[in-house]
Amino acid sequence: MSCSVPAIEVRGVTKRFGKVTALDGVSFAVQPGELFFLLGPSGCGKTTLLRILAGLETPDAGTILFNGKDIATLPPHERGAPMVFQNYALWPHLNVRDNVAFGLVERKVARGEIAQRVADVLRRVGLEGLAERMPNQLSGGQQQRVVLARALVLNPAIVLLDEPLSNLDAKLRVEMREEIESLHQATGLTFVYVTHDQADALSLADRMVVMAAGRISALGTPLDLYYRPPNRFCADFLGEANLIEVTAGNGMPAGTGGGVTLRTPLGLWQGTVVAENGPPLTEGQGVLCLIRPENLQPVRDHREGLNVFEAEVRGLRMNGPTVTVTLSAAGLTLRATVLTQDSLELRKGSRMTWGVQAKNTILIAAT
Amino acid sequence: MKFRYGTWLLVGLIVVALGAFLLWPMAHVFTRACWDQAGFTTLYLRGLFTNPVQVEAVLTSFLIAACVTVSCVGVALPLAWVFARRSFPGKAVWSGLLLLPMILPPFVSAVGMKMIFARAGALSTLCMNLGLADGPVDWLGAFPLLGVVLLETLHLFPILYLNLVAALANIDPSLEEAALNLGASPGRVFRRVTLPLARPGLFAGMVLVFIWSFTELGTPLVFGIRNVLPVMIYNSVAEIGTNPGGYAQVAFVLVVSVVGFWISKQLLSRSRSVATLGRLSSGRREVPLTRGGTVLAYVLIGGVLLLALLPHLSVLLLSIGRRWFLTVLPDGYTLEFFGRALNSDLTRTALLNSLALSLCATVLDVLLGFGIAWLCVRRRVAGSDWLDALAMLPLAVPGLVIAFGYIGCFSGTFPNTLLDPRFNPMILLAVSYAIRRLPYMVRAAHAGLEQVSSTYEEAAANLGASPFRVVWRVTLPLIGANLLAGGILCFSFSMLEVSDSLILAQTEQFYPITKAIYVLIDGLENGLNVASALGVWAMALLGAGILLAASLMGKRMGQMFRAG
Repeated sequence: MSCSVPAIEVRGVTKRFGKVTALDGVSFAVQPGELFFLLGPSGCGKTTLLRILAGLETPDAGTILFNGKDIATLPPHERGAPMVFQNYALWPHLNVRDNVAFGLVERKVARGEIAQRVADVLRRVGLEGLAERMPNQLSGGQQQRVVLARALVLNPAIVLLDEPLSNLDAKLRVEMREEIESLHQATGLTFVYVTHDQADALSLADRMVVMAAGRISALGTPLDLYYRPPNRFCADFLGEANLIEVTAGNGMPAGTGGGVTLRTPLGLWQGTVVAENGPPLTEGQGVLCLIRPENLQPVRDHREGLNVFEAEVRGLRMNGPTVTVTLSAAGLTLRATVLTQDSLELRKGSRMTWGVQAKNTILIAAT
Repeated sequence: MKFRYGTWLLVGLIVVALGAFLLWPMAHVFTRACWDQAGFTTLYLRGLFTNPVQVEAVLTSFLIAACVTVSCVGVALPLAWVFARRSFPGKAVWSGLLLLPMILPPFVSAVGMKMIFARAGALSTLCMNLGLADGPVDWLGAFPLLGVVLLETLHLFPILYLNLVAALANIDPSLEEAALNLGASPGRVFRRVTLPLARPGLFAGMVLVFIWSFTELGTPLVFGIRNVLPVMIYNSVAEIGTNPGGYAQVAFVLVVSVVGFWISKQLLSRSRSVATLGRLSSGRREVPLTRGGTVLAYVLIGGVLLLALLPHLSVLLLSIGRRWFLTVLPDGYTLEFFGRALNSDLTRTALLNSLALSLCATVLDVLLGFGIAWLCVRRRVAGSDWLDALAMLPLAVPGLVIAFGYIGCFSGTFPNTLLDPRFNPMILLAVSYAIRRLPYMVRAAHAGLEQVSSTYEEAAANLGASPFRVVWRVTLPLIGANLLAGGILCFSFSMLEVSDSLILAQTEQFYPITKAIYVLIDGLENGLNVASALGVWAMALLGAGILLAASLMGKRMGQMFRAG
């Protein structure tokens, strides 16, 4: 499918609550059929943005386009973008069937068709046989499925999800995550998914926005943002990050990609500037260098293109398939993630050589 | 859990007090209604449904109560919606003012109402002056029941309003947002989600209003309507020893009230299980009204208030008006009646009686109410649910029933002692005031105790305070504001208690304010004006009391008047 008209386009949306600026000139576009994530810590404005998409809040400035049409002035009930509420918002006075049928009744769908579509969607989310139950007779996972069914039964173009997994226990979360993914693939609808949980976003998102303090901090695919974050916030927020303050060395090709010499507390290193995101470098300039823990490994035979240093193992934490190693070198504390099978010789207090490849030594702006 | 003797002593005292002054009179009423010298009989109860006079009284009482309930919904529902869902300038003040109509017993406003709508009253005169009518029009004479319904509606709608605001506020905002989000227009959301979820609270409030208006004595009495149950009961007090018919009527009223109260409790407990589903999502932001909307809201609230306070205003005018007959407003003004209201023997005795009685009742209530709430919330003694239900029972027992029961059982059992209301009703008056307002006190204390974490008390005990010292040094200071608010309410309502006062106080030296007002209304020599002046004194006292209690209780004020 070509990306001619975005399913959702947000242009310069700003929202204030009293003196607090919840959203500050936010713009992005969501392509049709995307599973798009709004990720950020609590209070970053992501839920406000979702509520603005649903029409439950009115932006102070900016416009929203659904499929190319400006819908900023449409009241919530005319938007056709059903939402999965964080606390489910299942009506306690209606049973499962009536909860799911609610939107169809509002759309004046014929009674026979309603029955058919409700039965279909309940089967699809694995709730057949529970149609007569009241919401308080359902488990958390079942309530979650009813909320999904209530949105999907409308065959909407867009589905909004507000922290849908936050009320579930760990095992159920993984199950529902897969379920949402398969529902998304089966329906091909545009999903906008708000969460503070990077695991949800990294594992599910086609593309995502990382938000901080009412602004967009980064936009891209999970892989992009994980390995080539444009700024410190994004690097820190997604996964674990070793961030080292370094200085750009001599003979730099200013502001271009490729290998760069760095003066670090751990010696002279080679780093990589990611072309579109990287800071323009001048000699002597301070930058940040990002090393993901899984890229930091013990070195047995020194090879070209490897930045190496001596470090003392301060602690070992077993995670199951991997072990997190805390390292100390030149006054810095670093974290490395090593496969458990490769960690057997590591001992607390032992000194050895560690290394990271130059292509995995990512430079980002210091601020 | 281990209980000390003190706890059981307290439980014992409370049970004995409630047993003697609440359960025994009720049981006595039922026994006398069903047993005579010959043994068990349903003759007197059957009379309610076979004797044409009694049938008419029962039907009229039901009709009045039903009309009052319906019209209260009409008034309270829009008000409650505006206050629960919208914000506009001056909202806090308005919502306080809406409680004002409760402050005067409707039978006093009935006096004012008569001045406005009677044949020689203000409206009639105004119509003649404007040339709309040829002669005096008797607005109330044509439909006397209409006056009763109107007055009781304007008096009771705040109770329904408070219940409704609470019910609307309890609805999780996301339930309404979800409906909007799935395509329901705001009107449809109200019909399909808001109203069904608020319905238990609405019905519970309606039941309360129904019970209150079904058992209201003063208003029909002043309007001279004799064929309603409360007035018939009032008139049968004189022949209480000889005619069990009165007992049967009281028993019937009691059954209706208790059943109604039980239904409303059931409804509310169901709504509570509904409200606790899932966790409440983020707080509701009230939508500010547009300029036009604000004007509409002001017109609505102002109109209701004006109508509700019109009789009060008229009472005020009566209290300062020299002569008010066939004129729109009084001919001249004087402060004379305020002085007379304080100086004549009848009124001064009544004021002092009421003050003393209300004070005693309040002290009793604070002790009993705190004791009960503490036993239920903190000690959780076995059967605390029953204790709580027993303490709430007076909400369902009309004053009429209690007063009638007191005369029946105490006059016979302790003749010519201080417990014989015909000999000296003071003790029983104070006790009946206390019993009737006990639920409000228990609620206020209950709310306070639930707000204050029990860890404060545990810490005090841990540091060596005995249970009594814990209560004295930690609990009481922490919930003092709640107890004060509850106490003020008890005091204010006791000052203007109607049915107990009218029935129990038989001789002039024991008259409380309300009985004095009732007697003065028909009195000679500007009796009406003096009665009004007395009413204004009481109104000022009560109004100040309610506003003070409301400011102490804040948003929890509404809980005091809820059904369960």
